[in-house]
Amino acid sequence: MSYLFIAFILLSIVVMGKRSLTFLFGLGINVVLILVLVIMIADGFDPIITTVVISIFVLVIAIYLNVENYDTANTAFKTSLIIMLLILGITFLVQHYANFQGMWIENQEELEGFSLQLGISFPEIAIAIIVINSLGVISETSVAISSGLNEIIDNKPDLTDSEIFNDGFSVGNKILITQINTMLLNFFASTFTLIYLMHSLKFTNSEFINDKLLVAEILTTLVCIIGVIFTVPITSYFTVNNHKKRA
Amino acid sequence: MKNWVKIIIICLIGIAITALTRIDSAIYSDPIVQVTSVKTNYQSTETDEYKNVAKIYNQTITGKFLNTKDKGKTINLTNQYDSSLLMTQKYRVGQQLVVKKNSSEYSIYSQKRDTVVVGLISLVVLILFLMKYDRIRLFLSIVLNLIVFVIFMYIIINVPKSILLISAIITALLVTIISLVVILGPSFNALVAFLSTTISTTLAILLSVFLMYLSNNQNIHLEYSDYGLQPYFMVFISGVIFSVLGVIMDETMDITASLIEIKQEVPDVQDGKLFKSGMNIGRELVGPLINILLFIVVAEHLNIVFLYLSNGNSINYTIDMTLTLGIAQLLISSIGILITVPITSFIATKIINRGIAK
Repeated sequence: MSYLFIAFILLSIVVMGKRSLTFLFGLGINVVLILVLVIMIADGFDPIITTVVISIFVLVIAIYLNVENYDTANTAFKTSLIIMLLILGITFLVQHYANFQGMWIENQEELEGFSLQLGISFPEIAIAIIVINSLGVISETSVAISSGLNEIIDNKPDLTDSEIFNDGFSVGNKILITQINTMLLNFFASTFTLIYLMHSLKFTNSEFINDKLLVAEILTTLVCIIGVIFTVPITSYFTVNNHKKRA
Repeated sequence: MKNWVKIIIICLIGIAITALTRIDSAIYSDPIVQVTSVKTNYQSTETDEYKNVAKIYNQTITGKFLNTKDKGKTINLTNQYDSSLLMTQKYRVGQQLVVKKNSSEYSIYSQKRDTVVVGLISLVVLILFLMKYDRIRLFLSIVLNLIVFVIFMYIIINVPKSILLISAIITALLVTIISLVVILGPSFNALVAFLSTTISTTLAILLSVFLMYLSNNQNIHLEYSDYGLQPYFMVFISGVIFSVLGVIMDETMDITASLIEIKQEVPDVQDGKLFKSGMNIGRELVGPLINILLFIVVAEHLNIVFLYLSNGNSINYTIDMTLTLGIAQLLISSIGILITVPITSFIATKIINRGIAK
């Protein structure tokens, strides 16, 4: 492990050059924020409020540290905040109906010897998990789309509002497919062992389709996809507004 | 006008399919029960040795069989849950439950969740039709990749385990080809992106395996990998490949596309200058892409992290037991994301300046 870490640091310095300090600093802050989140929730702070507050910090750092253009950063930040709240709302609903919180019989081996009646509310943790899962995707997508749109507007300042929206979707197309690809592949990465185990435990079709853990993974992926889809129109809306103000 | 008709039709189809999952119990072999009434009684408050305070409740549930030969009959079930709901479930009126017969008694196995899954999928499709996205490519890439994944699952379930890693690599190659061809078309860009993606991913994995071998896999508890699929090391590496692949494709596509654009604007651009531009574009991508995986990997382990912490374990011990695999995965992914920048810049520069010049 230490070799991996040393290799990572060396490569960061070699590849990132002058930017390596900012880069490692940004990553370090995110790791610290995650630790703070975990410790606070374990100490009894409300999981959802803690997650929202920490997420705002994460988005501020991810966006303002990486984006130099102030307009682009502002648009991306506003968009990602709205998307985060949207994801929070959908997740609330979905968790209410599907109750996919916590763990299930596939985890039995890991659970041996543990006290399972805990003081933490796992339905709230389940909501927090989806929001945290989406943070990297949200910030990257909103930055990519708002910088793409701003570039277009800088080159062609006399675009109409609906043309800006159309450009938003043409910039967004490639980003949407690539982000969905990333999420789909991470879904594969986290479910292939799970599905294998479900098969060796001889799950029936109803146990399989309605399985708590598998459903949780599917819903996580779907909710994040909804977040990415809405990033384009919301970014376009803010860009149009900015454009009007400047004109 | 025509568009509106289309959207209404999709809306109706979505609602119809979602509604169908409420009456699809006939396709299930296990008995399905619809809950008609629930009585919840508080039983006690329990405090464990780690000062976890949980309230225990008992539920008396009345329901109706929706399938099997008992269809229409009423049944009484009992359920107990605690306020943390980690391994227990709380049931409500209107839910459908999968039940199991042990000896002569029926007991609740799980909630039927397919309605929510199908409903959310329909919602995603509907939203996509409401917006001006290029849906055909999107659906094509999702469906083809899912088919490849299903074949992969079929193979690792039915063929001896030794071929897990090979199957995973072939799956990864197929997914890469499908995604790149669907997104970029069968083009020059796609070829450059494919070469860069495979070479970068391979080098990152080989380098990481070598480094892990040097340190004798110390501190990396491979045996803690989820769900016990073996051999652990192959499972771990397969997971890492899947997880990082999408991000690396994203990166190589962006760098390649930008370099091709530069080449078209300045046809006689020097190798050195093109390479430098590639490096500059790549450096902007590295941070956000590592962030994506960081949050996905952390989120995936949070349940078990809170289980450990609530059971009186220190934060250090918890991280050691639950997150070392995730951290190793993130380090390997980050190494991959980093070396993709020079590798893609180099390959793209060489191929673009030769390929287009011809």
